[in-house]
This record gives sequence, C-alpha cells and structure tokens, in this order.
Amino acid sequence: MIEDRLTKEILNTLLKNGADFSEIFVQRRVFNNLRLEDSKIENSSSGYELGCGLRLWVGDSTFYAYVDSLEKNKLLNAAKVLSSAINGSSSLKVLNLTETKSSYNTNIKKFPGKVHPGSKKNTLEAVDKSSRDFSPTIIQVTSALSDAEEEIYIANSYGAFSFEKMVKTFLAVNVVARKRKDVRTGYKSLARTSGYEAFDFKNPENLAREASKIAVDMLDAVNAPSGELPVVLGPAFGGVIFHEACGHGLEADAVMKNASVFKDKIGKKIASDAVTAVDDSTLKYRWGSYKFDDEGYPSSKTVLIKDGILQSYIYDLRTSKKLGAKQTGNGRRQSFRHVPVPRMSNTYIESRDEDSGSIIKSINKGIYAREFAGGQVDPATGDFVFGISEGYLIENGKISFPIKDATLIGNGPEILKRIEAVGNNLDFAPGFCGKSGQLISNEVGQPTIKIDKITIGGTRD
Amino acid sequence: MQDSKSYMIRGEKLIKICKDAAFRINKYKVDEFEIFTASSVENEIEIFKGKIETLSFSDSIGIGIRIFNDKSIGYAYTTVLDEASIEDCIRKAVSNCKITEREDYNYLPREEEFTFKQKLIGDKLLFREDFLDYDIESKVTLAKRLETLTKSKDTRIVDIDNVTYNDSIYETAILNSAGFCDRYKTTTCFIYVNAISKQNGDTSTGDFFGCGRTPADLNLEEVAEKAARRSVSILGGRKIKSQRVDLLLDPVVSAQLLGIIAESLTADSVQKRKSLFEGKIGKKIFSIDVNIFDDGTIPDGLSSKPFDGEGVIKGKTCVFEDGYLKTYLYNTYTARKDKTLSTGNAVRASYRSTPEVGISNFYLEPSDIDFSQLMSDIDRGFYIIDIIGLHSGVNSISGQMSVGAKGIWIEKGNLEYPVKEVTIATDILSFCKSIKKVGNDLRFIPVGGYIGSPSLLVRDIMVSGK
Repeated sequence: MIEDRLTKEILNTLLKNGADFSEIFVQRRVFNNLRLEDSKIENSSSGYELGCGLRLWVGDSTFYAYVDSLEKNKLLNAAKVLSSAINGSSSLKVLNLTETKSSYNTNIKKFPGKVHPGSKKNTLEAVDKSSRDFSPTIIQVTSALSDAEEEIYIANSYGAFSFEKMVKTFLAVNVVARKRKDVRTGYKSLARTSGYEAFDFKNPENLAREASKIAVDMLDAVNAPSGELPVVLGPAFGGVIFHEACGHGLEADAVMKNASVFKDKIGKKIASDAVTAVDDSTLKYRWGSYKFDDEGYPSSKTVLIKDGILQSYIYDLRTSKKLGAKQTGNGRRQSFRHVPVPRMSNTYIESRDEDSGSIIKSINKGIYAREFAGGQVDPATGDFVFGISEGYLIENGKISFPIKDATLIGNGPEILKRIEAVGNNLDFAPGFCGKSGQLISNEVGQPTIKIDKITIGGTRD
Repeated sequence: MQDSKSYMIRGEKLIKICKDAAFRINKYKVDEFEIFTASSVENEIEIFKGKIETLSFSDSIGIGIRIFNDKSIGYAYTTVLDEASIEDCIRKAVSNCKITEREDYNYLPREEEFTFKQKLIGDKLLFREDFLDYDIESKVTLAKRLETLTKSKDTRIVDIDNVTYNDSIYETAILNSAGFCDRYKTTTCFIYVNAISKQNGDTSTGDFFGCGRTPADLNLEEVAEKAARRSVSILGGRKIKSQRVDLLLDPVVSAQLLGIIAESLTADSVQKRKSLFEGKIGKKIFSIDVNIFDDGTIPDGLSSKPFDGEGVIKGKTCVFEDGYLKTYLYNTYTARKDKTLSTGNAVRASYRSTPEVGISNFYLEPSDIDFSQLMSDIDRGFYIIDIIGLHSGVNSISGQMSVGAKGIWIEKGNLEYPVKEVTIATDILSFCKSIKKVGNDLRFIPVGGYIGSPSLLVRDIMVSGK
C-alpha cells in the first residue's frame, strides 16, 4: 500500500531518537450500511477511511500517533514529531523487509462491492417479512446489514511486513413483540469474515424467525428466581461466560499489571477437569478470525486451559516480550487510530461427551439459559456478570416456564471450578467486545454446560 | 516534546471545506444537501508505576454528506479530503438516496421549526484558551500525580492498574442548502484512575474520574480520594441473603440508570413503539415531584453546544415536571411526525453517522436533602456505590432491569459492612415509582451524553445473593 522505501524511511525516522522498536500500520476501509425499521429502508450510508498508525517503544513506554492520509510528507512529518517525543539516539536501522507468511487463507466469493444495493435491500425486506409473519404480536423489527472491505499493511523495525485483505459481512435483527402490557425483545446476528456467501452459511430469513421466536416465547415469561441455583448454559452464545469469567483475565496486559486473578497460575488447576478452553483465530471465516493479528503476527490456535489446568495467557507483542512468552497472535486494535492490546479472537470451551438432554435431566430445580445479552468483568477481582435474554426454569429435570431477563453474577475462579458437566454440542456465536475504549469483533463458543451453583438476579422473593 | 503553540486550530478552514464540497454537489441535480465536518486533536496518556505506559497523539478530520433527493436521504462520509475522495463521497451519497424510503418529512430543518431561536452558548464558554497553555509534559505530570496521590490515600491500595488522561480540541461545522452555515469548537479533558486494594486475601477495585474544559478543572485530590474510598470500602465484602430492601444509590449509579431512562424518551423510540413512555405524556411517572431536564446550554456542561447535529439551536427542555412526563426529545424529522417543534436533540456520534435523536446535558434536579439525611431514613438497606453489567442487564424496550451491585449494608441509618456479588432487579417503570427521595449532591458523568443525578433513595427493591 506504500512503497518499501518509504516504509523503511518512516521506520528509521521513528527509531532515530533512541526507540527500541517502531511500527507502521496502514489501513484502507470501505463500508456500507443499510438499516430497515418500521418496514422502511431508513438509512443507507457509505464510508471511506484511510490512514496510518505509527508506534514506537522506548523501554516500557509506547508512543503512538496516526495520520488520516498516506501522503509521503504527512507520514514523514508525523514520524518526525513522534520520534521527537523522546530524546536519545539509536543505532537500530531497518535495511530489509521480509514478508510474514500465514497459513490462514480465504477464498471470498461474493465481494460486497459486487453485490447490487437492490439485492441488499431485498435481503432486509425479506428479513422484515419473515420476522413479522412469525406472529401478530410483533410490533417492530429493526434489521441492519453492513459490510466492509479492508486492506491492512503492517511493517516493523524487526524487518517483518504483512499484508491482508479482509471482507466482513454483518446482519442483525432486533424484534419487539407485545402482548397487552408486556413487551419483549429478540435479537439474532449473523457475522462472518467473508463476503455475502455468509448467507449461504446461514439463511437470513431463518435468522429473522429465530429472533422473533425468542421475543414471542418470552411474552409468557414469569419472574425469574433470586438466589443461588444450578444453571445450564446453552451452546454457542453461552460461551460468553468463559469470555467474561476467564478470558479477559487471561489477557496478558491485565496479568502484567497485577490486575488479573489468574496471575502466577500457569500450570495450576484453575477449572474443573471437564474444561478445555481454546482461543483460535484460524477458524475459517469466523467473526474473530484473521490472517494476521493487528501487529502482523500470523493467526494461531492457543490452548488456554487443558483439562482444567492453565496453559497459556493471551499475548500481543509487547506483553509477550515483557513476560518472556511466545506471541499468540492476539494483538488487536479497532483501527489505525488505536494502540494494539491483547484481545481474544474466537474463544470457546471444547466439547466433551455428555448429552445436553441428560445434563438438563440431572437438575431438579434450576435455570436453563439459552441466549444472552453480553456481560462484563472486573479482571482484578474476577467478579463478572452476564445477562440472560432467553431463559427457562428447569423443574424435575424438564424445561418449564420462560423467565424474565435476569443477570447472573459470580466470581471467575470460583465458577470455573463449578463447571460440573460439559456437553457434546459445541457451537459458536459472533459478537462485539469492548476494552480500553476499543470495540472489536469476536466469537464465543461452547457446548451445553452445567454450573452447580451461581447467583441469579431475579425479582421473585 | 510538543510545543503548546503547535496546536492547530482549523477555524474557518472547516467552513471552507464545507463550501468547496457544496460547490461540487451543485453539479449534481439534487433537491437539498447538508455537509457536516468535524475534526479533533487529541492526546492520551496512560501512566503505570510512575512511567509513561502509552502516549498517543491524534489529529483526525472527516466529512459527512447528506443528500435529499425526491424526499429520500442518502449518506456517505470520508476521512480523506482530497478532490477524488470527496467526489466519490458525493456520488455514493447521491446513489444511496435511490435505495431509501421516500417520506414527506425528509427535508432540511427550516427556522420556523426551531423551539429555541437564539444561540445561548458559544466558543467563549466551550473553548478555553488556557487549555492551550498545557504542554504534554505538564499533562504527564498531572497523570503521574494522580497515580501517587491515589496510592497514598490508603495503605491497603497495592496497585494502580490504570491512570488515563485524555483531552481533545473538537471543531465542527455544518452547512446546508437551506442557508445554515455555522461552526463551533470545544476543549475537553478527562482523567481516570482505578485502584486495586488488598486485605486478608480479598481483592477490591475502585475507580473514579474527573472531567472539564481544561486541566485546571480537574480536582485530582477528589478523584484520588473517591477512587481509593470506593476500592477499600468494599474489602472483605460478602454476599447477603436474597431479600427486598431499600436502596441508597450513589450519584454515579443513579446517573447511569437515568441514562437508560433517557433512551426511552427520544421521539424516535416512541414513534417506533420501542419506548416504555409511549402514550404517557401528561401521566405521572414518578411518585414524587421529580424534575428532569435536557439542557444543551449549561455553562459547564460537557454536552453543551450552540446548535445540534442538524443545525437546530439548543435550549433547555423540561422532560419531567413534578413527576409528570411533559415531552419527548425531538429532532426535526420526529417533530414533523408529531406535529411539533424540534427540541434541538439531533445527535451525531461523529461524521460517520446521520443525525439521530439523543440527549445533551440530561439531569435530575437536586433537592436540599443531604446525604446523611437520606441515610438516616433507612432502617435496613443497601448503599450501592457501583453497578456492573448495565448494558447486558437492562433492556430499555421491555423495561427489565437486573444488574450486579456492590456497596455497604445499612442498618438503622448506619453503614455496617461491605456487600458484593449480589444483583438488584426491578423494571424501569417500577423503579421510577420506587424513588422516594432525592439528594442534593448532583453529579454528572460523561457517558453517552452528560448525565447528572443526585443520590437517590429507592424503596423496596429485590436484592439477590445467597
């Protein structure tokens, strides 16, 4: 995206006042968004962004700046200004750049730019119709379709460079159902790092019906119980529990800053035997997948927990250097305007052999939680929450009434040890995760799991 | 280091960018158009153990173009402002019109549709010249001082895992084909600290922030004290039995919940049948005489501005008076639908998005009851100093609310022991009814607008624990 010679000149300008490391991150993005609400296409917008982030290190300090342009003068000037933030001298110099290879390869079939806007509109109209046809109780459907095509070029003073073209497609459906005074919502999304062949992976109209079904089923919800109960978490988005209860605490920046409950726990037992957990950015076309992370390191599969024993943290370049560990390809950033930090990609609990039906049967009185509204964690204490958006009571081994939305609250290290059973039906769900003011795409996954006891925040006395 | 004099103020340049783009649009046959430009120059500093962890500079600009053709709207934006990119942006916006629904209400704001006629606030209050006197070094010193100060507040504080300072000079201009052309600029700064404390094997965290128009507005002493207090006061916290009790909400907690209520007060959410307040104008929502305002003109309000995201003059709107719902918040599109005037609540998150309806400075009016009086009014209750999981735990459409909470148990008006790992649950309308007393300690938080609330006494809410 920029010439080798200019790249080297910028990297060396960044180094010259004593930096230990320099990097250039170039990104071009083209976006399209379409939104349908009230059965009307009410928004159609497009965007174009191009820019370059410059980074250097001196000791433990990171200096960062970006430019909304690829003009040579602007880039060199920004590099000069940034390097003048430090005062020393360096003998480091980049002479040659070698391309980094990745084993993750994609074959995009339907590029967003090649899909006619009219056909995108038809997709949303079909989604709207399928949602509304599901039940007369549905009073509103909001659906949004967005796509992005981007190119990322990264080069650093170690002499490595990488280039990646990425395509993303995202469809979300929000449904509102109403019966007398009760209003309920249902949400489903489909998100792939691919073109519009994403719709071959999952049919948009089915997605619409699934969202409607949640809203309609929840219309009959009873008040959720309060207090500690056994909880069965359904497959796919149930994986948000691992993401919050453990994943964030394994991100090495929290470990490095003494702000993780999992510090000094490598090789130690932190979860029940049934738990094997993985972060894998190489799962083809998944929402958290990539060829290279945002520091140009190839994507990879990292086993985080094996049979309950902690194996690895989640690293970016800086934390891997600092903690003397191998990079895991998890240095990620929202855009060229942001400093990369360790982040999860696609994180999931592996399947075991229990049948999900028998897991539910094993519970006399408890909760079955199927869909979730996300969650939050304080990595330093391990205290986390996540919200149930589709849940049911379990009575005498059977799923009974739907329950109103409730938050589950617990402590990561304690809950991991209370995972009693792990099913055989691993599935995934896409989402967005916010940290350090940066929103990125990732997936969570798990089979059906059972937690022997967790606090559920209902309203029933 | 960066010289303070090197701050680039774009000023009239933004208007020129708008005019140049307008000149280009004139070559297309379109009914109306609007050009929005915004730029920001930012600094962010993170300190860890007395050293700079990250220091970042940014200077960005973007332009967003709204085209109105045949009563349809198309939008496009670009952050690259060369001729070719702007031409391409216009072409995309024009072509995006072809796909959106035609609606009679789709046209630019006319002056007769403004509730407020006169600009009440401008650059003089929003942009502080003394902001420019602070160079990077002095800001780094400020952030380092907050780290040391917080650590020194209590011996149980073992780590400060995050001290972040950031500031920005924001400039924006709007030009439209109906004759509006204006701009304004603001300075803002923000500082945040998170303190980790330990005692007898238990770990606790507590954070706090300060914000203002210039670094001189930041009260480091207060930020450090609050963060330290919030951290150590929860040490040794335990889970309590599930029960119904009275709650005393810290202003930071009340303001977050008020932000959720605000989402349902936009005319957009009402017209789309996604609001709990649909059909409730003139109805008593609160059981006490609560007043809630959206005021875009408060001198030290961080969301104050002369005009909104589509160029409509900002003013002060009373949303709840004596507990009764008076009005929803409007932009011109939703106002036309309800045959009323815009309240100046068109909000643009950035040049990336079209104007939506949202709040500016949104606050619940304080009373004259002080905190200790509120506390003495509680026989058995829970003083909540922090909540977690607001976004996953509150559904503003269905109204269901269930969030994690930590704080201190109250017995006969006295603080007894710390409580954690519990939730509070109710629904939004019941919550409004359950508010029985309002304190005098109004505080704003800069999240999704600038939202302010005093401490609130809320009766009989379910707390789940053991």
